[in-house]
This record gives sequence, C-alpha cells and structure tokens, in this order.
Amino acid sequence: MPLTPETLTRHELVGLHARVADATNPDLIGVSGRVVSETERTLSLDDGSRVRQVPKRGATLEFRLDAPTDEAAGAGKAPGTPSELPSETPGVRAGQSGGCEGEAYVTVDGARLLSRPALRTEKAGDSTWR
Amino acid sequence: MGIPEERIERLHEQSREAAAAGDVDRSQEYVRLARRIAERNRLRLPREFRRFTCDACDAYLVPGVNAQVRLQSGHVVIRCDCGEIARYPYD
Repeated sequence: MPLTPETLTRHELVGLHARVADATNPDLIGVSGRVVSETERTLSLDDGSRVRQVPKRGATLEFRLDAPTDEAAGAGKAPGTPSELPSETPGVRAGQSGGCEGEAYVTVDGARLLSRPALRTEKAGDSTWR
Repeated sequence: MGIPEERIERLHEQSREAAAAGDVDRSQEYVRLARRIAERNRLRLPREFRRFTCDACDAYLVPGVNAQVRLQSGHVVIRCDCGEIARYPYD
C-alpha cells in the first residue's frame, strides 16, 4: 500500500515535509520543515536551521506528499489531473486541501497521529469511533 | 506490499541519508524503529538492511566511516566501531 492521503496516518512520517497549519500554541503555527523524529505525542520538524518539537495533540499538520498520488477515487473530483490532486474519498478522516504541481497536500488533525511510532500502523487512523 | 514493509524501506533510506550526513543518533533511531516495526509485524528485514546495520548498537554501517570491511576466503567480515563483528558468506 503506497503512501496516500488515506494511508498517511498509518504510514511513515519521517522524511516527509510538514507544516503546522493550526495549533493551540500560536507560536507553533506556520512552523514547517522535514519530519526528522517522532515520539508518541510529538513530531520534530527540521526547518534547516533548528529542530522544532511540535505536540501532536492540538495541532493540525499539513503534510506534503511528493510523489503524485495515483488514486482511482481522485478521478471523480478532478478529471484533468487525477494523479496530482489528493482524493476526496468519503470516510477519510484527514481533511484534504489543494494540490500543486505533482504534489499533494494532506491536512491531518494531530490527534489522529497520537500513537507510538511503531504501533501507529496497527492502531492509529482506522478507528471509526473518533 | 503492505504499509509495514514500506515503512521499513523508507526508514532504511532515511537512516542511510542520516548516516551519510553524519547524524549518527538519528540514523540509529531510524534503524531501531525499522527493527521494531519488523518485529511487530513479523517481517524479515531486507538483506541490505541486515548487512548494513549493526546488530549490537543499531548503527547504520558506512564502510570506511564507522565500519571496517575485510574479505576473507569464503566470507566477509564487517566490524562496527562498537566492536561488534558480523560475518556473512559470499553469495
């Protein structure tokens, strides 16, 4: 299963580019960088000059997926460029935002990612009870 | 290929890049996480991953930087800076 907006919450975040779209701590809003480390409750973003540790709880993160996501579900939304836009599959808990050239941006509520990194594949993201 | 395999693959790549950039702690962290994922999901790690990581200290091995590689009759000996020695056959 490739890294798609649907599987992002259970996939590896290290190495992805992320931006804090919203957070309960106003100082963290706008922080962006490569994810370099993950703990149960935080993500570390490296913006090139320093590493910022962002709590997952209370933050809304926007991840950039570099490889164009090839989704059957995306075809209905944008017929011209289905592979460049994140799909709007119903039931996906992660909110979707606009796509750019060959990139897809996925917005995720940080609370979706609250899990130990190794267990996230098994536990986070799939529950319909949240 | 499932998500765990892909996570291991990505971590392998990240670990190699971190080791190449001299970020030893981070590359170790990624190797540990990849091993943990393999353990939890009962997967065999890729051969390249097994050959280029230290069993004892989880370091990503870069020959000439933190690993010494010696070729002997029938097998390769690779020694990590921590002192751990791994041997594997030619194949």
